Amino acid sequence: MSANEPHLRVEQSAASDDSIQQVHARLVAAKPEKAGGYSKLPLVLLGLMCSAIFFGSIYLAHYSLRFDPLVYSEHANREKPGAVKVVALTRAQMGKKVFDTTCIACHQANGLGVPGQYPPLAGSEWATGSEARAIRIVLHGLNGPLTVKGVEFNNVMAPLGAALKDEQIANVLSYVRASWGNAAPEVSPEAVAKVRAETASRATFWTAAELLKIGN
Amino acid sequence: MNSTAPNRSEQIEIDASARWPVLVFFGYALGWLLVGGVMQLAAAMQLHQPGFLSACEWTTHGRLAPAAQNALVYGWGMNAAFAFGLWLMARLSATTLRHGGWLFVAAKFWNTGVALGVLGILGGYSTSFELLEMPRYVSLLLLTAYALIGVWAVTTFSIRNTENVYASQWYLFGAAFWFPWLYALAQVMLFKAPVRGVLQPVVNAWYAHGLYNLWFVPVALAAAYYFLPKILGKPVANYYLAPLAFWWLAITSAFAGGSRLIGAPVPVWIPTLGIVANMLVVVGVVIVALNLFGTLSGRHAAARNSLTLRFIIISITSFVLAAAMNLALSMRGFAVTAQFTMLDGLRDWLTFYACFSTAMFGAAYFLLPRLTGKEWRSPALVKAHFGATALGVLLMVAGLTYAGWSQGHMLNDAAVPFAAITKAMAPWFALRSAVLALLLVGHVAFLINFIWIACPINSQGTAAAVFRVPPDLSTEAHAPAGHSLKGVGP
Repeated sequence: MSANEPHLRVEQSAASDDSIQQVHARLVAAKPEKAGGYSKLPLVLLGLMCSAIFFGSIYLAHYSLRFDPLVYSEHANREKPGAVKVVALTRAQMGKKVFDTTCIACHQANGLGVPGQYPPLAGSEWATGSEARAIRIVLHGLNGPLTVKGVEFNNVMAPLGAALKDEQIANVLSYVRASWGNAAPEVSPEAVAKVRAETASRATFWTAAELLKIGN
Repeated sequence: MNSTAPNRSEQIEIDASARWPVLVFFGYALGWLLVGGVMQLAAAMQLHQPGFLSACEWTTHGRLAPAAQNALVYGWGMNAAFAFGLWLMARLSATTLRHGGWLFVAAKFWNTGVALGVLGILGGYSTSFELLEMPRYVSLLLLTAYALIGVWAVTTFSIRNTENVYASQWYLFGAAFWFPWLYALAQVMLFKAPVRGVLQPVVNAWYAHGLYNLWFVPVALAAAYYFLPKILGKPVANYYLAPLAFWWLAITSAFAGGSRLIGAPVPVWIPTLGIVANMLVVVGVVIVALNLFGTLSGRHAAARNSLTLRFIIISITSFVLAAAMNLALSMRGFAVTAQFTMLDGLRDWLTFYACFSTAMFGAAYFLLPRLTGKEWRSPALVKAHFGATALGVLLMVAGLTYAGWSQGHMLNDAAVPFAAITKAMAPWFALRSAVLALLLVGHVAFLINFIWIACPINSQGTAAAVFRVPPDLSTEAHAPAGHSLKGVGP
């Protein structure tokens, strides 16, 4: 029963419950002591609160992904669903649609044509060569013998100048000149318009011989 | 109030009215602390001795670990919180604790419920939800018992004889409502009318986080806010900020549960909201730390001389540490390494044991001599309890922080085989078992002292306690003259 460690036997209190309540009720009502003009603590806490709220809001806006119930990853695409994005297409990409409706029946999807009947476009010196000749063929068609890649063809290609606009012709030629291993520069609608104006009086099909005189 | 003659106690009628309900709740609490502690130790040992107790299906790890957790949380934690909360509410409301008979009934119901629940888990009837593993049939029993207990805490508050309300009462009053809200909602949303799919882990995380931070932490803070001015005789520093901290913590903590679900297959805004809430919690924690550590500053010698305050210091330090860990674990960059390691478990252990349980030990050392009118019989056992707790908390925090961090690094390294990680972690799991064993020794020491002080029989050798009538709290910051904490003994 040693008395040298009384706190291990019984704990004394240094304030009555009643006074604890009264003193703290006064303290909670009282404004903080203003030592030296103003109290720094409330300002520091206000700063802490504001930065916590500011940082928290930015974090929430960034990682909540619009509170979308179907988004499970914070690294998901942040675009709004249904948002329309403008994707720039090349002339060659747009020309595929024209090719698929107008040219595909004879020249085939693989650009190889039909041996003996329709000449190929893939690797063809006519398709990848002078754009002035290619535009003319599309505008007014081609009739008679034609040598493509060393093979003789003798058939008719219909004129498409009335059916296709300048831009469609430019697109489809760009497609042909950039597909199946072809790598010729694309054709602009302005170039088509220029040739159309130059050949406005022409009413008949071109022949290979005529075309060879034009351009390079 | 100004009498200088040694009185048995201030507020003798209140303590007398609270005596039996509080002793009963504390008795149950300590029983569960031992039972849960033994199960927890056994479950911890199975992590480095896989064959230990694995022959019987009742004691396999999958049953033993949740049974231990539930016994500790609902057995020890809740009973201790009831005991302390009812007593402090009566004290601060300056009114006797009425209807003690109902409290006995409630205690009986509650502990029957916990016992059935723990046995249910051991018997293989557990659910799959953390902290809600007890079989469904227990929940109604627990809620009914809680209603009987909580209603007296609220009634005691509402018939108070004081003009003013103190910070400890806010936290107790708030917690009295938050627990049934959390528990009832979780029961309904997980068992009665279960929500579908990914919402279930969301509800579970919200409940687990809420139970720790809106029930156990407020009770611990109630103890800290009460005992610091009570024993130091000094008002709480910057007390005008305390109401802000209370509301701030109450609101932000309720949203913070989602942060436990980082990377889980739930809508990403739920963890994000939890993370933001954890960032905001910091403001409340800073204010509470300013209040409590500000009160302590300059009085460290006096605090060291008070056993209760030593426990309270461990508690409030752990409160700050746990908040820091909550914030760190909810940072996505940090969670990449820290998640699914020992750090997860350490965070909850810090909140429940190092913050809440130590506060209850501190409170018990203050209030039990007042209720029984007796001194603690063995200072050696008291010292053993405190020493075990302090050393245990220190070892656990330091050891598991290091171990968890290196475990996370190994888990992230694809070149390290999983078996190698298990092998490397075995010594740290052994350390964890050793710390749990050390804490258990402390609990046994506490239980022995408790039996001596609480049992009506065999009171020879236990001296009657002498309490000075405390002076009024002075607003000045000087130590009251003639009130050194040492001196008066039988």
